[in-house]
Formats: sequence, structure tokens, C-alpha cells
Amino acid sequence: MTDEPKTLTRERIAVGDMWRYADDARSLPAAVPPKTLPSEPLVPQPGQQTLAVGQRVTRPDSRNHGLGRTKYIDDLAFPGMLFAKFKRAGIASARIMRIDTSAAEAMPGVMAVLTGNEIPVNSFGPTFQDQPVLADPIVRHAGDGVAAVAAVTEQIAAEAVEKITVDYEPLPAVFDPLEAMRDDAYKIHAPNSNIYASKVVRRGDVDKGFAQSDQIFEGRFTTQMVEHVPLEPHAAIAEWDANGRLTVWATIGRITLARADLARTLKLPMNRVRLIGTFVGGNFGGKNEISQEPALALLSKKAGRPVKGVFTRNDEFISSTTRHPFIMEYKTGVTKDGRILARSVRLILDGGAYCSWSATTLGKACILASGPYKIDNVHSEAHVIYTNKTMTGAMRGFGAPQVCFAYESHMDDIAKALGIDPLEIRLRNVFDEGTSSPTGQVLHSVVVRESLRNAADRFGWETRS
Amino acid sequence: MTDVTITVNGSVRSASVPPETTLLKLLRDVFQLTGTKLGCDVGDCGACTVLVDGMAVNACLMLAAQADGRQVLTIEGLAMKDRLHPLQKVFEESGALQCGFCGPGMLLSAKALLDDNPDPSSHDIRDALAGNLCRCTGYSKIVEAVQDAARAMRDPRTEDTRQLEMHGHD
Amino acid sequence: MKSFGYVAAMDAKHAIELLAEHGAAAKILAGGTDLLVELKDTQRPPGIVVDISRARDLKDIVLTDEGLRIGALATHGEIMRSALIRDLCPALIEAAHSIGAVQTRNLGTIGGNLMTCVPSMDSGPALIALEAQVTVAGADGQRRMPLVDLFVGPRKTSLTPGQLLVEIVIPKPNLGKPAAFQKFGLRKGQALALVNAAAAFWIDDGKDAFKAPCIALGAVAPTVIRAPQAEAYLAGRAITPEAMAEAGRIAATEAKPISDFRASADYRRDLIAVLVKRCLAAAYARATAKTKERVS
Repeated sequence: MTDEPKTLTRERIAVGDMWRYADDARSLPAAVPPKTLPSEPLVPQPGQQTLAVGQRVTRPDSRNHGLGRTKYIDDLAFPGMLFAKFKRAGIASARIMRIDTSAAEAMPGVMAVLTGNEIPVNSFGPTFQDQPVLADPIVRHAGDGVAAVAAVTEQIAAEAVEKITVDYEPLPAVFDPLEAMRDDAYKIHAPNSNIYASKVVRRGDVDKGFAQSDQIFEGRFTTQMVEHVPLEPHAAIAEWDANGRLTVWATIGRITLARADLARTLKLPMNRVRLIGTFVGGNFGGKNEISQEPALALLSKKAGRPVKGVFTRNDEFISSTTRHPFIMEYKTGVTKDGRILARSVRLILDGGAYCSWSATTLGKACILASGPYKIDNVHSEAHVIYTNKTMTGAMRGFGAPQVCFAYESHMDDIAKALGIDPLEIRLRNVFDEGTSSPTGQVLHSVVVRESLRNAADRFGWETRS
Repeated sequence: MTDVTITVNGSVRSASVPPETTLLKLLRDVFQLTGTKLGCDVGDCGACTVLVDGMAVNACLMLAAQADGRQVLTIEGLAMKDRLHPLQKVFEESGALQCGFCGPGMLLSAKALLDDNPDPSSHDIRDALAGNLCRCTGYSKIVEAVQDAARAMRDPRTEDTRQLEMHGHD
Repeated sequence: MKSFGYVAAMDAKHAIELLAEHGAAAKILAGGTDLLVELKDTQRPPGIVVDISRARDLKDIVLTDEGLRIGALATHGEIMRSALIRDLCPALIEAAHSIGAVQTRNLGTIGGNLMTCVPSMDSGPALIALEAQVTVAGADGQRRMPLVDLFVGPRKTSLTPGQLLVEIVIPKPNLGKPAAFQKFGLRKGQALALVNAAAAFWIDDGKDAFKAPCIALGAVAPTVIRAPQAEAYLAGRAITPEAMAEAGRIAATEAKPISDFRASADYRRDLIAVLVKRCLAAAYARATAKTKERVS
């Protein structure tokens, strides 16, 4: 541009209009022509290379991603659309005595305010329905929403949220899962125990196995809480139309489940709820259930306008699910030559304030806890515990990464103590074709041994310095 | 209200906005150029990266008023009428975009790098993209894609050769 | 973000007039990388933001009779690309490079970084190791002071409302003084320093000994500090790896690091010892490389 830009009297598009080039580029031919795959589905045999391996992957939606044309929720706007913001408790454990929303409601531009007592069925969750849409009256973690506001701009909604005052009666809180397991611990979902799900996997007789072992090793491993940090925060738009039908656009991976949960919390027949799953800017397990959607729906019902809610990055950390911190106690009996005779595992999962996908995580972690090793005597038990912290839920692997970290670290410790090469001790114990897992599943296409050998060859295990 | 006139992707555009409006809000909410994303709003994730006078900046950390009179390139202006930018082409071919949310910022940071350094090492690329977080790819495909694009941009002929190499065995 | 007023200053003089006019209600916007984050989070926005980012006369990097003058508005990116700085005080480039990432380095300014006065700032140690001076201007004129006197405590400088940091000057005698900067963060990009450090010294040619050593440490005390005991230990001592390591150990005893969620005080003390040693070694390597260059 040679001309100095001059102020235009109204917002308008000047000639030149280069920003539309992206529209033209959209219809250019695909960079890589689609591959013709054989019409007969090829079932690869163990060890056989499939057609997919080694091929570059191109995604049909990449073109729009690269042009900036993909519409994620926050890129959508509807006429009259309002913006929602949530008041977070900021206290880990309390009883709400009083919420005063009058100052917020009086603000120009605020179209609707919502509190927990206005939600038809104020509970949801993929396994247990133990999580409120907005806390009422018990707050169980600092990220609990206690009220929501819809206003004509995000800025007004945020200022209105600050004008809401809440009186709390602080309640005892428990943050450590081991403390929370004790009988005298404060019951987060009174009167129930804080241990909200357990699983045991038993095979053979571990006591006998330990008795027969030459040596017994014990190890304790812990992992921390992890947030998914999808680049796109949780976002949704809800529109409650004049016929009493609800349409929700949401960044949710499991739309049928979300639809059922929405219908339940709102006491609507399922056929009145339309849920549109949009492009998701990263899920990783953190967007597998509803969160703010029922509140947005009710705000829309009250205001008669579509309502958009986008989590702030802060909301994302304190009010969306996270990966469970694990406390893992391993005990393994081995022969002198490193064969595992018995293994007992105890897993304590810090479940946070609500269940979310904890039961699934617990199950998978417990089943996988003894590792890909042939062990005749196994006892794995796992418990997930309520604490007054951000809820934990699904995250890639559902507990498998945590136990993998523990059993592989434990194997290294054992190998070191026995003076056996870490690769060798694994080869002496790993699953083979037809091995039955601790839960009795007979395994096929097992290539652990080959994979380990290949990997060791590739990175030069023998010649490492 | 503050009057702001910027040249976006070659077009002169004006708006009168409250002073606290960031460049990101101006682009997304006023000019409806939603390709630029809001990820963290504090300059950590790079999803809002745009080029201002050719330099990569976080649009969330700049007031719209600061951009007054300047040239802004957003992802919507990266392609040419008849062809994709080599970066867009290579990112598309090589699966460097998965969920795509980091893509616009990543591509513009990579463009700023290649404008300045046509032959970057893998370390240079990682350094230049350190301000762009991606949670899907693990970055290796992105780094490779930037190298491929750099190669193509240095010598347009190699682009065609590489295509042949890639598809010759089909 | 809450609403606030906005006014853009055209140059330093205009900025000072605006600051005088608006008094305590004014908040200065330089690069904005810290200020905007603060404004997005604050309950009490300033009455007016005085945007000095257009004041061209605060941006120059020039060599004068006094030394190297770096305008307070020079961005970290501009410092990294400056041929003068590359030639005369490359440790500043190491420091600038360690800040944030490309996008924040293109916005953030050296003056803004100093004025945040956070203990972990990366611009501080290298400048202090080179005994930088700063010029401060206000309605009542300009004054020059050592950079160390700018820092009062965490997020607190000695400037009063209405005053503006105008420039940083590396004194002429220290131009070309071998120096290096090291930082340890939890990752390489976008991370605050757990500890950062810089060291500068001349080589006493006849004896291959440390001459006029200067060591500065960041993130280990309420402000960026010098390590006078380590400096005294080195002065006049033969340049050996052992002496460098010992200086690091002494420096570690001079700091008052805290434990926080990023690192424990003990870990920070270990880092000081290592980083000081590495700074000294890197500065020495830089000096010998330069000598070789001159010889050949």
C-alpha cells in the first residue's frame, strides 16, 4: 500500500478487498489427490504391513483450517446473541446462605441472571449424576459456578458477575485423598463415603505367589493433576425458541450423551433438544460431557435470545475436568532370574469434587495396573475418592498412562536391584500370543516382544553409552 | 471511543471502538475476521498471532488503537487468489493441522520466520514457534512442514519434484 | 477488560506533558505485554492509559560519547536485531532472546521490562553486570542514575508518578567488556526465570586474571542484585574453572531466594552456583574468541 490509510467515516470495506482471497483458495484442488484404496477391506495379519503405515495423512478439513475459515463456536454469531459469564465460588467447601443478584440484574445490558435453584434438575454426570450445573446450596470446589449472567456484551456480563454477592458458611474441606478415605473425614457428598467407586481384579493367589518368590519389591508412585488445555476453551451457544425447543451448538465430543444429560437437567423431552456438535478445537477427553450448556439454555429461555458462553482460560483450569492424580503402591514378587510370580497393586485416585468419568478411568487403570506381563498371581484394587478440588475425568488413556508410569518405573527398579538388563527383564515376562490377561481375556495379535526388540534395535539399545 | 483505521490484508478498514478493545477483538468482533483465534487472552498460546507491519505479535496483547495506521495481515489474507501460500499447502499435505485451532497463528508465525530467514534450521523453527502452542500434533509435523515450505519457497521447482517423489510410487 | 481512557503520546515531551496532566490516574503503556494482562484482570482500571508506543524518539539505539544509548521503547526484538548491540554488548541479546517468545519480544520493550520491576525480569542482570545507567525525565527535567537505583522492591521502582524512563545507557568504558547472560526456566520458551544471572569482567592481559568482575542475579531476591563477595573473590584471581565454580558457590550464599510453586529456595541456590559458573565461562569464551578474531 502506498496510500496512507485515511479514516473512513463509517466502518466499510474499501476496494481491493484482498481478504476474500481465502474464499477463492478454498475451491482450489486438494494439495494431495485422494488415494484410491482397495474396495475389499484388507485385514492385516500380525506382522503384516498395512497400506496406511508410512503414508502421509491428509485431512479433508485441513484446507479450511489453514485458510482460517473453519468455524468454531466462538466464530459463530446470531442476531441478538447475548454473552454469558459465570460467578465462580472461589471457596472450596461451603454452604451458600444467600445470593444477591439484584445489583447485577439492575445493570443496563444485563438480560438474565440464573442461580442454582432455578434449574429443573440440578445434577448431571456421565456415570453418577452428582454434579450441579450451579452449586445449590453446597459448594464442593472453588471452581463451582454459583450464578450465571447473560448480557449484551461480554464486558457487561463480566462486570455484572462481579456485582453478585454471595454469603457463604464455610464448611470443612478435605484435599488429600488419603485423608478423605478415613472414616472420620468430612463427607463431601454427605452422607455417602468419600470413596465413591472401587474395583478389584484378582487372579491366582498373591499370598502364595509372594511366599514362593525369591525377592519382593515394593514401590510407591504418584502423579499430578493435569489439565487438557485444549487451545479452544469450552464454548457453547444455546437458543431456546418460542416453541419451547432448544438448540445447542457445543464443543462436545459425545453429543448423544450430552443431549440426554441436557434433556434430563432441563426436564425436557429428548425430542425438544437439538444438539449440534461443531468443530472442536482440541478435546483430549475434557469435552466429553456437558458443563455450562444447561445454564446457557435457561439463560436463553429467560432472555428470549441466543446465549453464547466461552470459558476463560481461568475457567478452563478450575472448572473443567482434569486428569486424576494417582497414588500407586506396587508390590512384586520375583524369582532370582527376574520372572514375576506375584504382583499386588493398590491405586488411589484423587477424584476431585464430582465423578465425571472417574468410574471409567478407575476400571481401565485397575485392569491395566499389572502391566503387559504374564503374572499368575495378581491382585489389583483401585478406589476413587472425593476431594474438594477441581473434578477429574476423562483424559487420553483413562488412567492407563498413570499406571504405565508406575509399573514401568517399578520394573526398572527391579531390574536394577537384580542386576538384569531392563530390556531383558521385560522380555522374560511380557505377554505372548494367546496369553490371558489378569481379567481372563485371551489376547491376540500380541507383538510386545517384537516391538520391544525392534525399538531396541532402532535406537541402539545394545550400543548405548 | 477511539477511531482506528488499519490496513487489513490490503484493505483499508476503519472502526470506532472503546479504548479497551484489543486488536484481536477488533479483528474478530468488528471486522468479522474470525480466523484469528482467542486461546488464552494473555499472550501465552499464540492462537491470536497476526503480522503487524510484517512482525508476528499477539493480537490479544495489543490495543486496537496501537495498530492505528498500520498494516495487519491475518490468516484470511495469507492465500493468493489463485494459489495457497506454500505454508498452507504443505501444512495441508502433511497433516500438520489436526484440530486446526492453533493453525492460523502457527502459519503466520512461520510466515514471519520464512520472510526473515528463508533457510531455517529445525532449531530456528522451534525458536520462532515457541510462542505458538499446539496440543494435537506434538510439533514434529509442524517443524517438518515449515522446512518443506521453506524448501519450496527457495526453489519453486523443487515443489513439483517433491510432488512427483511423493506420488510417483502410487 | 474494564473501560479506561486512552491517549497516545507522539514523543517523549508529549508523554511527559500527558503524565503531568493526568497525574496518578495515568498508566503508561509501552509494549503492553505486561500491562494488558494486568488490565484484563484488574478490579480497578486506571483512569487513562498513556500510550507511548508511538514515541519514535524513545526507540533509538545509538552510540554516543557517553556510551551506548538504548531508547526505553526499543523492543526485545529490535535489541536482538541491533548490529551495535551484537558488536558491543552481545549479552543483552542473550537476555532479550530469553524473554517470552517472538510475538511478545516484538511488542515488549526493554524499558517496560525494567519498569515492571519483577525480580525475575530478564533485562536486569545483563544491564547491571555492565553497570548501566538510566535517564529519567519528568516535568522538572531529566536526571541520570545507576540502573540499580531504579529498583526498590518487587513491582516497585524509585520513579514517582509523572516520571518516565527515557533511556538506558551502557557506559563507554564497559562497551566490549566480555559478558554473558544465563537463564534457567521450566521450559525454553515463554517461561519465567527460576534464576537468571549475568557476569562481566575484563581479562588482565599480563596475568590472565579477572579484572573488574561484575556479577548480577535475578529472581533470587526482592530485586535484581549484585554479588559483591563473589566479585571480590574473583578480582585479581587467575582465570580457572575452579575459580569460576567457587565464585558461583559464593554468589549462592549472597542471594535470598524464596520457595514458591516454581522452585524451592535450595534448588534456586544450586542454580545460582551453576549459572554464575556458566556465565563466567561463556564470557571468557567470548573474550578469547574475540582475541583470536583480532589476531587472525
